Amino acid sequence: MPRIDYADSVSLTGQQAIEGGVAAPVPPVVVDGIWKRFGATDIVTDLAFDVRPGEILGFLGPNGAGKTTTMRMILDIIRPDRGSISVFGKPPGVEHQGRTGYLPEERGLYRDVPAVDTLAYFGALRGLPLGEARSRARGLLTEVGLGDSIGKKAGELSRGMHQKAQLVATIINDPDLLIVDEPFQGLDPVNATMLKSLLVAQRDRGVAVVMSTHDMEDAQVLCDRILLIDKGRRLLYGTVADIRRAFSDGAVEVVGKNLPIDATALQSVTHAKTYDGSVRYLLRDGASARDLFRELGESQADVERFAVEAPNLAEIFIRTVAGDQRAKAVA
Amino acid sequence: MNLPFVRLVLLVARRDYLRTVRRRGFLAGTLLLPASMVVLFTISSFVGFQSPGGVEGPLLVVNESAVPLQPDPAITPNVVMVSREDANAGLADESVSEYFLVPESWPEQPNIHLVVPPTTGSGSLDALTRQQGARAQVEGLLRVSLLRAAGLPDDSLTQALAPINLTSVTPAGEPVSEASVAAGFIVPYVFTLIFVLSIFITSGYLLQSVTEEKENRVVEILLSSIPALPLMAGKVLGLGAAGLTQVAIWTATAIVAIPLVNQQFSVDISVSPVTLALAMLFFCLGYLSYGAIFAAVGSLAPGAREAQQYSSFFGFFAVIPLVATPLFLNDPASPIVAALALLPLTAPAAALELLAIPGSSPLLIGASLVSQLVFMAIAIIAAGRIFRATLLLYGAQPGVRRIVGALTGRA
Repeated sequence: MPRIDYADSVSLTGQQAIEGGVAAPVPPVVVDGIWKRFGATDIVTDLAFDVRPGEILGFLGPNGAGKTTTMRMILDIIRPDRGSISVFGKPPGVEHQGRTGYLPEERGLYRDVPAVDTLAYFGALRGLPLGEARSRARGLLTEVGLGDSIGKKAGELSRGMHQKAQLVATIINDPDLLIVDEPFQGLDPVNATMLKSLLVAQRDRGVAVVMSTHDMEDAQVLCDRILLIDKGRRLLYGTVADIRRAFSDGAVEVVGKNLPIDATALQSVTHAKTYDGSVRYLLRDGASARDLFRELGESQADVERFAVEAPNLAEIFIRTVAGDQRAKAVA
Repeated sequence: MNLPFVRLVLLVARRDYLRTVRRRGFLAGTLLLPASMVVLFTISSFVGFQSPGGVEGPLLVVNESAVPLQPDPAITPNVVMVSREDANAGLADESVSEYFLVPESWPEQPNIHLVVPPTTGSGSLDALTRQQGARAQVEGLLRVSLLRAAGLPDDSLTQALAPINLTSVTPAGEPVSEASVAAGFIVPYVFTLIFVLSIFITSGYLLQSVTEEKENRVVEILLSSIPALPLMAGKVLGLGAAGLTQVAIWTATAIVAIPLVNQQFSVDISVSPVTLALAMLFFCLGYLSYGAIFAAVGSLAPGAREAQQYSSFFGFFAVIPLVATPLFLNDPASPIVAALALLPLTAPAAALELLAIPGSSPLLIGASLVSQLVFMAIAIIAAGRIFRATLLLYGAQPGVRRIVGALTGRA
């Protein structure tokens, strides 16, 4: 099982590791070989990854893959049977709960209580003075367009309003770590866009975000890195670009003038075929797109567009879960 | 930013307390007892004022039988013999409301008639009470007359037919009213019932709170914000405080009502401050034990309905001492009473009952206290573990292995 990138430089006891005399930042979350079994079923198996500040980690996987269980273990709601989890350099516990925000997939508010009261209560539980929590709740509800509904009971809010109020509950304490499970599920495009902006703004202010989603388009657009698991095991882990490249089949689409269409003229390709003014090259085993780009530069070709063909995340998801061997390169 | 344990507990407790005491159901339930007492005293005062307390005014009797009827001032003080014409005239001009007619067929046939105006209905409670008193006097009149006709001397007649005067006394000869004898049974029963009821109502708040937060999915956000132990401790504390508020209001009502009851019903009920303080202590212990069990039940049950069903199983144990009240009164030293006082699930009610019965063994009450303290500690720890491990199983029933795993701290 490949280990996490940071494993050598991070002390799980919370001390910052020293690399070349410079203190390396401790990732907000380091998960190291955790296992969890319910009854006779292994829910999570030897899972390892980290979450870095200022990134959105897309946490992907089919239903029942173990995503929610993993998130609950990070939040110390349940504990792993084996392995270790470090949150802000320490084992998960009460110390970090004031620095995290969690939007569970199964979410709710007290129906017979004004939403602002519930949000203020959640904020107070995460360490804010009650008055400040109430004030922040009002401000954030206004920011997400619920200014007119501040006094309404949660039972009187529409589903979309409910969900926006939930996200407010998640960020009310200005968390350093955000864990959100299907945050845009059931939202109309306008509200979904608003909440995506909110999430990106959190990432941009340095928050480490773990986002579980089944929407691969959202994952591809919003996420910096991807962790795909199935049956509790890690299948894909890396940047979106690296993962897509790994599944690109070695095809490169080039648009330009004087492009060589004879594959034998280029050492880095095996096939070349024209399509509507562009040429599709198939890279030879061991050759990279960089090799092809260099060869085209050395020829008389005038390259206007050079794109590595890569499947989208939805295709990669399906292929990986179906057992595509290419996943091993980025697992 | 992180709050210490105690502050988290107080935060949860404050919120759950305020949310509970502001509910209409709580307010109605809490004020029901004082309101009932006010209504009871109003009615009883009214009835007591209006009640004739027996027979007042003359009892008209018309004799058409062959036996001469002669009223006796000692046995039939209200009876006045009149003719049928006079009696009917009295009914017609409403100067009398009824009269008794002894027909010719008496005493061969035992039937006597009460003659009333045709418009009279089934009668009020007042009329019924008067009829009962009147019946006794008319019976006395007829028996006196028959015995006199048979030649029995008047002295013997009076002795034979005078009603006995039954009074209750203590072994020292001090008088005890009949109401006080009844109160001796009722007070421990009612006292225990009220406190056991309070324990279950308050534990019910906890069950309701846990199942509600589980069903509306708020619990996952709560558990991601604070650890399970302060969450449960805050709930137990806050809802226990709500229950104590209710009990305090009821106790205050009882303190005000007891002198009125004593005065109204000629009884001598008293509850000492020490007994009340101990009752509060047993209430707290009982609530903490049952509250912990109910919190665990709430987290284990897939829904509110199942939670109610499971919790009623435990409620069965709590009422056993109430059913056994006669045994507590007649033989407080019985081994069964001792067992009920020491077994954790029956101990709260049994100890409360022992407290209310004069002469109960202080040793047994003390042992019950220790038993409940130990059980309470175990119940809270076990419930905390189950609460943490099973609360997020929405709509699913955890298996025995998982529950055992939770109890042993492996889940």
